[in-house]
Amino acid sequence: MTSSSPRRPGPIALAALALWIGLLVLISVWMAGQAYHWLPVQASNAAPLVDGLFSFETGLGTFVFLGVLSVIAWVVLMHRAEKYDISDAEPIEGNTRLEVIWTLIPLAIVMAIAVYAMRVNHELGVLGPMEHIHPNNPVEAQGGYPGDRLPAESIEVIARQWSWEFRYPESHVSATELHLPVDQAVTFRLTSDDVIHGFYIPAFRLKQDVIPGRAIDFTLTPTREGRYRLRDSMFSGTWFAANQADVVVQSADAYATWLKQAASEPLQSGLSDAVGEYEERQKLINPGWATVRPAPAPQVNVPGSNTLPHDS
Amino acid sequence: MTSTIPLSESEASPSWTRYFGFNTDAKVIGIQYIVLAFFFFLVGGFLAMIIRGELITPASDLVDRTVYNGLYTMHGTIMLFLFIFPVLNGLNNLLIPTMIGAPDMAFPRLNAVAFWLVPIFGSLLIASFFVPGGPAYSGWWSYPPVSIQNPLGNLFSGQGLWLVAVALSGVSSIMGAVNFVTTILRMRAPGMGFFRMPVYCWTALAAQSLQLIGLPALTGGAIMLLMDLNFGTSFYRPEGGGDPVLYQHFFWFYSHPAVYVIILPAFGIFSELFPVYSRKPLFGYVYVSLASFIIVILGLIVWVHHFFPSGVPEWMRNLFMFNTMLIAVPTGVKVFAWLGTIWRGKLQLTTPMLFCLGGLINFVFAGITGIMLATVPIDIHVNNTYFVVGHFHYVIYGAAVMCIFAAIYHWFPKFTGRMPYEGLGKVHFLLTFVGANLNFLPMHPLGLMGMPRRVSSYDPEFAFWNVLASLGAFLLGVSIIPFLLNIISSWARGPRASHNPWNAIGLEWLLPSPPPEDNFGEHVPTVISRPYGYGSDEPLVEHQAEIEKALILQEATR
Amino acid sequence: MTSTPIPPPGQVVAHGEGQHASHNLTGFIIFLCSESVIFLAFFSGYAILRLSALNWLPAGVDGLEWHMPLINTVVLVSSSLTMVVAEHFKAKEKVWLFRAFWLLTMAMGAYFLYGQAVEWSGLKFSLTSGTFGSTFYLLTGFHGLHVATGILLMGLMLFKSFIPGNYSGGEEGVKATSLFWHFVDVIWIVLFMLLYVWRA
Repeated sequence: MTSSSPRRPGPIALAALALWIGLLVLISVWMAGQAYHWLPVQASNAAPLVDGLFSFETGLGTFVFLGVLSVIAWVVLMHRAEKYDISDAEPIEGNTRLEVIWTLIPLAIVMAIAVYAMRVNHELGVLGPMEHIHPNNPVEAQGGYPGDRLPAESIEVIARQWSWEFRYPESHVSATELHLPVDQAVTFRLTSDDVIHGFYIPAFRLKQDVIPGRAIDFTLTPTREGRYRLRDSMFSGTWFAANQADVVVQSADAYATWLKQAASEPLQSGLSDAVGEYEERQKLINPGWATVRPAPAPQVNVPGSNTLPHDS
Repeated sequence: MTSTIPLSESEASPSWTRYFGFNTDAKVIGIQYIVLAFFFFLVGGFLAMIIRGELITPASDLVDRTVYNGLYTMHGTIMLFLFIFPVLNGLNNLLIPTMIGAPDMAFPRLNAVAFWLVPIFGSLLIASFFVPGGPAYSGWWSYPPVSIQNPLGNLFSGQGLWLVAVALSGVSSIMGAVNFVTTILRMRAPGMGFFRMPVYCWTALAAQSLQLIGLPALTGGAIMLLMDLNFGTSFYRPEGGGDPVLYQHFFWFYSHPAVYVIILPAFGIFSELFPVYSRKPLFGYVYVSLASFIIVILGLIVWVHHFFPSGVPEWMRNLFMFNTMLIAVPTGVKVFAWLGTIWRGKLQLTTPMLFCLGGLINFVFAGITGIMLATVPIDIHVNNTYFVVGHFHYVIYGAAVMCIFAAIYHWFPKFTGRMPYEGLGKVHFLLTFVGANLNFLPMHPLGLMGMPRRVSSYDPEFAFWNVLASLGAFLLGVSIIPFLLNIISSWARGPRASHNPWNAIGLEWLLPSPPPEDNFGEHVPTVISRPYGYGSDEPLVEHQAEIEKALILQEATR
Repeated sequence: MTSTPIPPPGQVVAHGEGQHASHNLTGFIIFLCSESVIFLAFFSGYAILRLSALNWLPAGVDGLEWHMPLINTVVLVSSSLTMVVAEHFKAKEKVWLFRAFWLLTMAMGAYFLYGQAVEWSGLKFSLTSGTFGSTFYLLTGFHGLHVATGILLMGLMLFKSFIPGNYSGGEEGVKATSLFWHFVDVIWIVLFMLLYVWRA
């Protein structure tokens, strides 16, 4: 096999190559910094970890991409056939040493990324125990046995087609707007009444599918006060896109005040955009294709709002 | 030594009507697959135009939400099952027998049956738009429980038709896979050992092996879903003790390898075309070939990365992240091999070469976002957002579809006997490359910002990137026009093609354009060297000079 | 005008009947390997659902009666043996003995199906009795479909054995059918273990 015979590039060429690589490194580092701007504001303890990992991969990826692009650009510019030249180029069939190098180096790189990611995974430690529940058992279906096995700070989340209900069992409060105290770990107990939903808060960088027939524990710590969006991330039917709620992170005092106030509010219809849209739709002669009827809006102490401006 | 050039027989040109009947010639079936696939490409593309039309504004104001959900579901389903898999099977039919010197596929009648199943299940899918309740609406995944809610309670629902169509598609694909694998294993020309076989055949063998291993899992999962939908069983129903996540395992056990079924032939096309248009051998042919099978093995053990945020335990997330990252290695071997092929070559920037170069750039970009998606902490944030939609459209449209276009321009002269128009081809390339990047690049920031996928409406802060993406989509819609014009008019009245207009090395280029029904017939040349022997004076087959001379003579006298 | 290929001097490669005969068997074996994956999918689904179930058995059901199914199993497994005997006689060109044992195999297969139907009719749970019922009827039903298909294929081969000159061009139809039958047998053995032997 004809191996590539490396004609030693001259010192000027080597210097130019080194400069070019240096330039690519600079651009990659700059892109890694830019990556943070593409992400929402960091509002949980997970966000800096996730963003750091993403920034690192962006930098690395930029370098690889620009490297490949450089090679292609160089070849297209400098190695084109002359206008009427249909002759062949050099019969170079390969180079075993190069093959080994470009197998082992990528292998090392992806293994390093995997180890870094597993460490972050471990640190995030968000996923708690998952247990099967009986949807037909009224106590379990309601959210379990408070005090028996749930930690102190816990909130039950019930996902439905198409609304989010949040229950604070210790304070006997329910709402369709999620309030959380800043800088305190909170464990959610996620359940669904019907189909799979996705509990996704982009500002927290965390997401967990909510599976009917299971109660899934999920822990996180919000780190920034503000109003954020909770979006359903697993397609759940007709009004899937409208199944959003607001998440309000407040100081411990404001949170306590809100809870106390909420406990004294009477039960009323919570937020569910789907219910309103469904009623409007019923008035049309030819509304569209078939749909499941939305679950009635949950009766809660505090409906809250989902139209106020949110941070992300 | 006597040369035995037979007297030229005056046969009537075979009628064009043979493309509309039950014909067992692989070259006819190949064209049937490709033309039918492009018909469905236009249908799926039209649905995409409506989707992007809805998404150019935040509110759900173009079509009803139920209609949007049906449209995006059918867009994905049609593009995968009625465009990509059939068009690749079409290329397999044209290329495999001619590249290995076989007269036809191993099982010609099975081949025709496999093709005719496509319009049958295609009709079922189109019919599902017109049944009460509308078509399937839960995405091309059809996850339960949402896919088995069946609001109208009918036996014949859009979802039911969808499941039957997908099952039939599986049957058709398995028939094809049995055929392709048997043909490659058993019908190669004398002297063509595995390491003298073109890479396209290696990747086809790899891809079709994945079909054989993976499809039955999907079929099994789909049968159980159909039973849950219509017959009250509880495989996935929590009320009956079933597990919805079980379906996800079955679905992705096939559907991950399915993406390799799509990209492996694209890898094969890169490996075939870069040497021709650089006039240089493929760099590291043996490694490129073997890497195809490393990809097969790894491709079978990564499926959980599609549902990291569902209810799967931590150890499973780590394991599948690790396996997924490993695939970058054999893929990287191929990418570097293509770079090594074009390096110091004599590049001819023809339409096929432009599509390959653009496809390679898009593919490397997609590979990088793929590594990000494999990284569990990042995936938890971007799973089920537009980041994923951007990633896979870069791979499928940006790389695989561009390779398919490259392949069509490259082998069009061989199988139709006409040359395509180069100018229109370059316009097609430019519009496609710009349109695809404009359409799919903005999806990445959208996903990072937290816009979920499959939504019929979105919060106003996502509007800017959505407008750009929609403009790109409309540009892509326009880009198909020069392609269709080119293919139709060149086929009808383009300049006649010689047996080897690109001066390429391969058995298919030692046949007339178009080849006769049984290709080499009983006179298959003996292969005596490795493929892609550019720059060396070694002939590919015995008596190559005589074969070439006779072909040139034939062309001069027609 | 289409062009004909130019044959290289002195080179003729035979693509005769014999070579296509071996292609058919190759293709069929590849198909069987693929088919086994669908059973693997059903087996693993059954195992996962059973292992993760809170209450596996539906109300009023204590388990599966295994005596009759055991007899059915013995019959089915023995039918593989009679099939091997039949092929042996065919190789010795004793066609009538081949047909006799072939028919015996078909009869044993039919008995198996009859036994399956009797078992189904006596069961106290249905397809809709939770995951227990769903998996039981899916597994046994899908397998039963394969047994029925096998019997049909055998019938076809039996019919073809009366066509004069049928075996001079290649008898892979019989080989393929027997491979299919043994495959169906092995699947049943695994099924029997999973459904009847695996006690709670």
